[in-house]
Amino acid sequence: MRIAALILLVAALGAAPTVSPPYLLHVLVLCCLVSIPAVGLNLMLGYTGLVSLGHMAFAGIGAYTAAVLMVDAKLGFWAALALGTLAAGAAGGAIGAVCLRFRSHFFMIVTLAFGLMLFSVMNNWDDVTRGAAGFPGIPRPVPLGGFAFGRLENFYYLALGCAALAFAVQWLVVRSEFGRILVALRQDERLAQARGINAMRYKTAVFALGSAIAGFGGVLQVSFLRVAAPATFSLGESINAVLVVIVGGAGSLAGPALGALVFVGLPEYLRVASEWRLVVFGVVLVLLMLFAPRGLAGLLERVWRR
Amino acid sequence: MLTSILEQTVNGLMAGSVYVLIALGMVLIYGVMHVLNFAHGVLFMLGGYVCHFIFTRVTGSYLLAIVLSMAVLAAIGIALERGVFRPLQGNLRNQVIASLGLILAIEHLVIAVWGPNALQFKVPATSALVPLGELRFPVQHLLVIAVTLTVVAALFIFLRRSKFGTAVRAASQDRQSAMVVGIPVERIDWITFALGTALAALGGALIGPLFLVFPQMGDAPMVKGLAGILLGGMGSVPGAVIGGLLIGVVESLSTLVLPTDYRDSVAFFIMVAILLVRPRGLFGVRVRGED
Repeated sequence: MRIAALILLVAALGAAPTVSPPYLLHVLVLCCLVSIPAVGLNLMLGYTGLVSLGHMAFAGIGAYTAAVLMVDAKLGFWAALALGTLAAGAAGGAIGAVCLRFRSHFFMIVTLAFGLMLFSVMNNWDDVTRGAAGFPGIPRPVPLGGFAFGRLENFYYLALGCAALAFAVQWLVVRSEFGRILVALRQDERLAQARGINAMRYKTAVFALGSAIAGFGGVLQVSFLRVAAPATFSLGESINAVLVVIVGGAGSLAGPALGALVFVGLPEYLRVASEWRLVVFGVVLVLLMLFAPRGLAGLLERVWRR
Repeated sequence: MLTSILEQTVNGLMAGSVYVLIALGMVLIYGVMHVLNFAHGVLFMLGGYVCHFIFTRVTGSYLLAIVLSMAVLAAIGIALERGVFRPLQGNLRNQVIASLGLILAIEHLVIAVWGPNALQFKVPATSALVPLGELRFPVQHLLVIAVTLTVVAALFIFLRRSKFGTAVRAASQDRQSAMVVGIPVERIDWITFALGTALAALGGALIGPLFLVFPQMGDAPMVKGLAGILLGGMGSVPGAVIGGLLIGVVESLSTLVLPTDYRDSVAFFIMVAILLVRPRGLFGVRVRGED
């Protein structure tokens, strides 16, 4: 039953470019791009219980690293994608090691502060990041075996493939012993430590991994938009990432996908005026916390079990 | 050089006073309810807008507009305490995420109602200048500092001398024991919340005429208020006052040697650096610690 549903989903997503209008395809690409950093945050927030309020800044590190490499160093897209991901992961490991010395409220405040500091660097370091106006002229990936990514339907397959990769990594992590240790740390850190688990090491590792996934998504995003703008990696976007994870269902495998669909897709479908969209989502977030803290995935699961 | 140091110190005290007004609200609420209300910055911003609205549309009196905006925000604070924070009491993660939802909702509601652009807010005190040595400052600068110091003094007397203030301190030291001796902690919760949001509104109403009123005006002051609270030792009211003023003065003085673009980062960098060396804040007290 589950496998049949999965095959149906893959077939539908694979066939989307042949049946859907370009506009819908554009929305689907955005959903993929939003879901990738959300996967990284889901590992941290959902599985490990680390509420990071600066997540999108790490997507920014990946994006700007790749932008500099592609435009200034004339490196190819694939190498820049790999190096951008690594840079975000390394920054996540280093900054995470500092943030994780603090707990609960303090951890959140310090991640928030780092997110703002990184944003300020992206916004002001004109020589490298081109400042507040954004970093223009970022190329789309070079054609791969006759697959020109300048075309929307081909970029869609790329984004879909990358999102699938992120979800596959999430699945592998959650199933592994590493993933089980993360859940154990969320549920009772002292007990896990008493069993001989080095909590700091595992939490730093998941911070680095989550940041690397965010950076991976960041590189793809700027390659799609052709420009890296500081505003897409601001505090507001980090809050939106939390929103996507929570609405979808923190700590569930499909959560980031559901959250991205609702966050990007629903307003497009309903044609809600843009300024009211985030008002509605803000209220939804509060209501979810009050009445359904496990998000959409939790609600669906409840229906499924019935 | 000396003149510019003096100038930046006064500017820093003014900015720091605003951080203190935000920090006081957050630290009082944190003390009794053990919630960090990340939405405090947007409530500060909303206070600025409400004051602007009352000043331009209802009455021409700045003083009356400030008082009324504090009353409006206090009512909103009570509603939020009842509707959101009380039901989520005891679940830190959900409270924080709900406060993020409030940030989104309130900030974009303001944008939907008043538009994304900054509003002019002209009061007489911004154009009048007072000489201070060789320098001349707008009256509003000194007004912000004076009002904040008065509020801080009044709050200290209230917390130290009045019966209700003593009950607030008791509830923040040990909620359960306070209940046992018959202190109505739930009433203290909502009154503290109302007081905290009213102080945020006061901050927004005081700063609006100086730096315009705009939807993101509360973001940086909220984080700097938090930085002040952490520097002063989490949960300590005097610590929040000193921490907030210190952040304001240091970031203001930093503009003498660093590009102004990095002023915000300086405050956060100092906060993280000090916390790494002294996790309990500068004074080594954490009235309400957590592990």
